[in-house]
Amino acid sequence: MTLHLRLATEADLAKIMQLENASFATDAWPEESMRFELTAPHTSYFVAFDTSEEQNLIGYGGLAKLQGSPQADIQTIAISQESRGKGFGKKLLERLIEEAVNQQAQEIFLEVRADNEVAQNLYLALGFEHIDTRKRYYQPADVDAWVMRLKLQKQNTAQPLVLGIESSCDETGIGIVRGNTLLANVISSSMDLHARFGGVVPEIAARAHLEALQPTLEKALKEAQIDLSELDAIAVTNGPGLAGALMVGVGAAKALAVATGKPLYAVNHLVGHVGVDVLERGEVITPTIALLVSGGHTSLLKVNDLLDDVELLGETIDDAAGEAFDKIARLLDLGYPGGPKIDEQAAKGDPKAIRFPRGLTLPKDMEKHRYDFSFSGLKTAVARWVEVKEAANEPYSIPDVAASFREAVVDVLVTKAVNACLDNKIPRLLLGGGVVANARLRELAKEKCEANGIELRIPAFSLCTDNGAMIAALGAQLVMAGRKPSNLEFGANSTLPVTTVQTI
Amino acid sequence: MILAIDTSAGTSVALIEDGLIRAEITVDDNMRHAEVIGETIAKILATTDTKPNQIKTVVAGRGPAPFTGLRVGIAAATMFAAGVGAKLYGVCSLDAIAFNELTRGETRPLLVTADARRKEVYWAIYEGLDQDGVPIMIHGPAVNKPQDLEELLKERNLVTVEAKAPMRASDLGLLAHNLQKANRLDTDTAALYLRAADAVEPKPNQRFGKAVSG
Repeated sequence: MTLHLRLATEADLAKIMQLENASFATDAWPEESMRFELTAPHTSYFVAFDTSEEQNLIGYGGLAKLQGSPQADIQTIAISQESRGKGFGKKLLERLIEEAVNQQAQEIFLEVRADNEVAQNLYLALGFEHIDTRKRYYQPADVDAWVMRLKLQKQNTAQPLVLGIESSCDETGIGIVRGNTLLANVISSSMDLHARFGGVVPEIAARAHLEALQPTLEKALKEAQIDLSELDAIAVTNGPGLAGALMVGVGAAKALAVATGKPLYAVNHLVGHVGVDVLERGEVITPTIALLVSGGHTSLLKVNDLLDDVELLGETIDDAAGEAFDKIARLLDLGYPGGPKIDEQAAKGDPKAIRFPRGLTLPKDMEKHRYDFSFSGLKTAVARWVEVKEAANEPYSIPDVAASFREAVVDVLVTKAVNACLDNKIPRLLLGGGVVANARLRELAKEKCEANGIELRIPAFSLCTDNGAMIAALGAQLVMAGRKPSNLEFGANSTLPVTTVQTI
Repeated sequence: MILAIDTSAGTSVALIEDGLIRAEITVDDNMRHAEVIGETIAKILATTDTKPNQIKTVVAGRGPAPFTGLRVGIAAATMFAAGVGAKLYGVCSLDAIAFNELTRGETRPLLVTADARRKEVYWAIYEGLDQDGVPIMIHGPAVNKPQDLEELLKERNLVTVEAKAPMRASDLGLLAHNLQKANRLDTDTAALYLRAADAVEPKPNQRFGKAVSG
């Protein structure tokens, strides 16, 4: 015998009343009350039959839930005498719970006779708790009622579905997460368009964002297999980054939020790089030191709390590390982007062949710039070294120059990051940004962290480079923490400080 | 209903229904497009008691205009349309200004200009409305220095009156309404930059700083 369940209609009233009278001898509802229950707009009644021919009604149950109310009530449930003990009651109950979830209830209440242990056990097995007792509730039998409650996971704050838009530099990223789970991460990069200029051209990046928006959104929705109407919130990068590029994302996100009626969260790009770790680890363990290295940033952060307490320990005072890679690659005619090209040459060279300077590491610099970086002097030193060789017509090894240059950059990055961990007694280091793709950076960080008992976190590369998933993930954290959405009037802020995790 | 969005000058948003202006808001500040765009669209919907999904057509002003602000409006139009599943179209912003003047009876050749910064102007010349009520563009759109434009007009023996109407999304929307009736709306929403991105290709092996002497 298979259970056939469907929504009840008024036509089922006669059969239901038969079972009602048989089941509740002394306190059955009058037919008119039952008719009202079946037809009321705020109730959902289900009837259960033994076959799809619907010959024998074996049970029914009803749920009441007012629209907008977080509470649902199980009004009644009955299974015919001969069908008990076969798990039908449980199936019917599960259908009612499912209905309550669909109607976005957060808790379900029911009353059960204090002497009906069989029913109580069923409710307890499904997660209901006994929260109260109503004395002498059932009359005329004069039996107490147990009030039981089932707490439902609140779908929209427990695991919010959030879409994130990133456009701070040359990647148009749209990511979708459900809570801490990655559903889609689509990146459209304009990198190739910048290649012949040897670096990101802001106007070219901004133009590319505008063109990439719609196709990137479509791809992300398809990848996540969701519809925009299902979203709980939208998040967007509003800084730091290139102003014109940021504005494309901000304008886009605001219109999408208004069109879909979803709350909008304006979030910090750099903190997004830190927050992305929730997608792989389920949380960001704090406090942690974070080293973010890309073509636009070289920042060392102390993250005491992802949403409330992020501190900038230091940053580059001139070029970003990625920029230095690009410039040296161009100097050596290796192509763009510089990082992978330098990496490729460096693998064949000797990192100790040439001792290039380590910026801001001399004692006098360390006083003022303990956690700051400078790559401009290094860049000039490499250029001079090459010029001298060329002027003298002396042959030199490009792999050696690449390896020695790379070692100088990576050495400073890792040394300062590890110092930050040790000085602050924080045994955790998180890496982020496109330069994390650099093999030697990962290798040296691993080595030095291991030697100093520091736990090293390196997210997958698709989450290290600029992406929308990290923005969605940070947005989801804000939603889960119950934060209010941003006011629609925020702007793009190219120098947004890391202390502003969300622009309200 | 047509939602028209233009950020070629300030931020202008209008709602057009059956060829009539239901609402229009223009924020003249041409430095705060990203700040005001969301609120402006939201206000248009709220004041007309319109649900987003009642909008079936979104029209973006394509410029020509200074790039940064222009993009905000096109990006917003693109995503609004995607958000409600509306059709998305683009209309040249200068056409909207011409539409205003021409529907008010201007019959002489009409020169429409817009500030292009860097001491240049975007411009186009129109002559009357066609049978669908759409401005007929006879020259442009282009970008030139004002004195070069003057010369150009002289060369071609063109005597024009200069349009005075400000850029308004309502004109963009009304024009879109006419285009839609005639089934002539264009799905191309690409920004009319009319200038290449400012970028100089470096020499293949550019050196930094001064050459080493000695």
